[in-house]
Amino acid sequence: MKFSVNWLREFVDLPENPEEIADLLTRAGVETENIETRGANVDKVIVSQITASSRHPNADRLTVCEVDDASGTKRQIVCGATNYKVSDRVPLALPGAKLPNGTEIRKSKLRGVESEGMLCSPIELGLGDDASGLLILPPDAKIGTPIGDLFPEDTILDVEITPNRGDLLSHFGLAREIAALTGKKLKSTPRESKIAIKKTGVTITATRECPFFSARKIDNVKVSPSPQWLRTKIESVGIRSINNIVDISNFVMLELGQPTHAFDADKLRGDINVRLARDGEKFLALDGKTYSLKPDNLVVADQERAVGIGGVMGGEETSVSDSTKNILLEAAYFLPASIRRTARNLNLPSDASYRFERGVDPEMILRASQRATELIQELAGGTPGKEINLAGKLPPNPADISLSYDKCDRVIGISIKPKAIDEILTGFGLKKTSAAKTTKWKIPSYRRDLQRDVDLIEEVVRAYGAEQIPGTDRSRYTASSAADHAHDLESAWRSRLAAVGLNEVRTSKLLPRERFVFSEGAIELRNPLSEDHVALRPSILVGLVAVLDRNIRAGAERVAIFEIGRTFIPPSGKEERHLGVLLWGNVAGAANWRSVSNRGVDLFDLKGALECVVPNLSFRPGKFPDLALPVDVFSGDRMIGFGGQLSSAKATASGPVFVAELHADLLLVPDELRKKFREIEKFPAISRDIAMIVPEEVSHEKIWRVIHEPREPLLESVELFDVFSGGEVGAARKSLAYRLTYRDRSRTLTNEEVNAAHAKIRERLRRDLGAELRE
Amino acid sequence: MTHPLEQLRDDALREIDSAPDKQALEAARVKYLGRSGSVSAWGEQMKTLAKEEKPVVGKLLNEVRAAVTASLESRAQQFRAQKESGALAKIDVFLPGTPHELGTLHPLTQMWERSIEIFRRMGFALADGPDIEDEWHCFDALNTPPEHPARNEQDTFYLRDGRLLRTHTSTVQIRTMQAAPPPIRVIAPGAAYRRDELDATHSPQFHQIEGLYVDENVSIADLKGALEFFMCELFGPGTGVQFRPHYFPFTEPSLEVYVKSKALKGGERWIEVAGSGVVHPAVFEEVNKARGDDAYDSQKWSGYAFGLGMDRLAMILFDIPDIRLFAQNDLRFLRQFA
Repeated sequence: MKFSVNWLREFVDLPENPEEIADLLTRAGVETENIETRGANVDKVIVSQITASSRHPNADRLTVCEVDDASGTKRQIVCGATNYKVSDRVPLALPGAKLPNGTEIRKSKLRGVESEGMLCSPIELGLGDDASGLLILPPDAKIGTPIGDLFPEDTILDVEITPNRGDLLSHFGLAREIAALTGKKLKSTPRESKIAIKKTGVTITATRECPFFSARKIDNVKVSPSPQWLRTKIESVGIRSINNIVDISNFVMLELGQPTHAFDADKLRGDINVRLARDGEKFLALDGKTYSLKPDNLVVADQERAVGIGGVMGGEETSVSDSTKNILLEAAYFLPASIRRTARNLNLPSDASYRFERGVDPEMILRASQRATELIQELAGGTPGKEINLAGKLPPNPADISLSYDKCDRVIGISIKPKAIDEILTGFGLKKTSAAKTTKWKIPSYRRDLQRDVDLIEEVVRAYGAEQIPGTDRSRYTASSAADHAHDLESAWRSRLAAVGLNEVRTSKLLPRERFVFSEGAIELRNPLSEDHVALRPSILVGLVAVLDRNIRAGAERVAIFEIGRTFIPPSGKEERHLGVLLWGNVAGAANWRSVSNRGVDLFDLKGALECVVPNLSFRPGKFPDLALPVDVFSGDRMIGFGGQLSSAKATASGPVFVAELHADLLLVPDELRKKFREIEKFPAISRDIAMIVPEEVSHEKIWRVIHEPREPLLESVELFDVFSGGEVGAARKSLAYRLTYRDRSRTLTNEEVNAAHAKIRERLRRDLGAELRE
Repeated sequence: MTHPLEQLRDDALREIDSAPDKQALEAARVKYLGRSGSVSAWGEQMKTLAKEEKPVVGKLLNEVRAAVTASLESRAQQFRAQKESGALAKIDVFLPGTPHELGTLHPLTQMWERSIEIFRRMGFALADGPDIEDEWHCFDALNTPPEHPARNEQDTFYLRDGRLLRTHTSTVQIRTMQAAPPPIRVIAPGAAYRRDELDATHSPQFHQIEGLYVDENVSIADLKGALEFFMCELFGPGTGVQFRPHYFPFTEPSLEVYVKSKALKGGERWIEVAGSGVVHPAVFEEVNKARGDDAYDSQKWSGYAFGLGMDRLAMILFDIPDIRLFAQNDLRFLRQFA
């Protein structure tokens, strides 16, 4: 909310420097977000009226104005603006005036024509940033008045009021808080209403939603524009001036925090009844829109129809207009939850609902009504009724709260003297009703946020100053959790993938609907805000493909990326942690002076990347609609993911794109305890190579099985070291070369033993696969 | 009078030292130490010497042989060194090192790792909870009942089945307390979602670390101590940390945390980095109701909680101007944080 410092000063003495006020409030949890200086601080600028205007004889863009400055003689001013008409009142800077931008005004000749001053735009007077033309003043601005009287200097504080502090949503309320924080006395408080009460003319049917309602009749008012002081005040904090009656209602709300509403009494048909709306009841509100109401909306009605949505907005039909003669002034208390529900469901937040849903001060209702009545009498004439009509009961005051000084010290962590605590709470308007070891405090009507002892302790912290509380060390031992283990394993995966040259990305878990999803559907949001974020990702690959596209557009020649994160599996939205990998472009980065050769990535680079993080993976041809070369990924007998080459229909990139996605939760299980030392080999190994030519369709996996089964005890390892086809190998055939390593862990092998074992393997390859072995 | 062997040694050393190249040196070796070299010849001659002369000459011969051998080796080493430095002198040491294609970790990951590492040193364990939540965990249990002004459904993403995407990681406070009795000392890193338009400072998905400590007599002073330590570890010694009273429904008192550090752009400005406070007794009461016991008796236990915005901290720490850069994953951006 915006606050005028001038206005606050009417209630409490403030430091001269607005920064100091802001700092004081901010330290007490009432954050000042912005400080703005307003008003014209200029001498020798007055209200003038343009009485004639003619074209400048020597300049197309200039005019020569004749201006009345109340001195009796007209002045001649050369002017460059075009937004005025003769008879407008505008600011006139007299010779000798010094404008905020440094310009000094002198009598001078402009293109040969004498100019005895300058007509000013808002920006030239330091009033906002409008430089488009002259500042046109209201027609009732008195000619000759110093401009500073119309635009008094002021500082506007933009203060963030937290939702628990509805009592600060007024100038009086904030001044009361400042008084408590500074120990200063309030200069004035709103007078109690002494008016006689009449329990007729108003009935409440919805007593829960509206516990209390008052209406004051004021006859023979004259609706007209507000005087300048009133306009300046409400406009300075961002409220538009409408007419004197509406402005007064807004003024009282800004001053005291209690919204009021004025009805055109002659348009009301019979007594006021506050009730719940009928289902589908139509209502034309002040904003010009028709709302269809529901039975949980509270309405202020006459005997025939709703005339206001209680606490939210008045109706168009009964609003105050220029022809209004008699008014009915409403001041009421509404149930915060009801107001909030209505304002939200109708999407109709207002300054009034903002205050009612945070809870207004019951003790301020009739005072505000009285204040508004007096102002209407003063500014719009009118005769107030001798009585006020009301119905219902004011909500009770907040319950007393017990507080032990011990508890206060325990929560804050330091010892604060009981006397200091008492002073702080008393300063905030609380009254000690019991001085036993556990004190008891009466809570003022406007502090409905104070409900428990911890709320009082917070008040102590706010006033005492959080900076006065020294920090203490309460570190302690904590056993690791399952989440710790999961995190550490995930970190290890990240580090390994980065170590082999992949870049970690983090993509949005919210996706656009049309995006390629690698899954049957996705969990959709009921209330998305934009088309870019409508569903939860069922797969990580969607995001990776988008990252690929973006980087290709940016000129990347190699994209090797991965992401580990949550996915949401339809239909239940089960959250699974997945690893996604995407490879595109060359294996190595840009050519450099040491690079011998480069090549495009392929499926085996993808497999290699996955094998870096999960040992003993196996890959089998699979089925996947969006992949041209699909493989299923297995760990043991369990399928843990899929991968392959993206089908060209799905990829916008030129050149093959390889992707894989693994269900990480299945793999991220602690295995540290399984790592055990094994004695380092003492006896030498003997290696033998086998080069063979086999039909194209014989897979490495098949050859590998033939070599390994039945298990040859001396065979330690088998390494594929060469694969090629074409050329001398012949059509539909391929050549593979393996290095077989033999070892016995307990003795040195002889050549004869190795030769015998090796011969058996060669024979099996020949017999089982028809392999053509090369010597 | 010099012994002829001494004369022989002096001649050999002179010849070795002045050998101009490897060939000349080899010739000298053959001449003196070769099978029929002159030093070797003395070995033969030893047999003819008188018995009393033998030990004296034998000793001298050994000395001469050792001296010649050492001299040969030293001269050979000189030749090797010359050759080596000649070859290496041609190498341009200014050529760049062999490039390795290293990958990178996302700056948010780095921010998270760094934060987790600090909190672990302070004795916090990790905790976890789902992104898809129910209203009770996100609002009601956190003292934000329906119609509470802070319960902003407008800013919450809902699923069609009525569940929602958590608007803060504070939901993990509730899940952790439901699962285990006090004492609790956890941090929970994770994503949260708010119905915000994407712009330079807002993103519908953002990232937080939640913290919760419940124990006997946990106070504001303890909260301050913990976060002051964390911020100084994160932003460097000499970091200013300020706590300003604020309002959150689930903590009372509530404090916002601001830091100021010369290491940061904008130097002497206070920057908001976290929300925190003493766990509200109403939160304990809701947890007890859900647990069906009185494990979180607010007469016995108290706690503090805090939430740190990871995106914001990373933006401050790495001087990143726009939150959208995180989700765009431009490689030119990611590589800056290698």
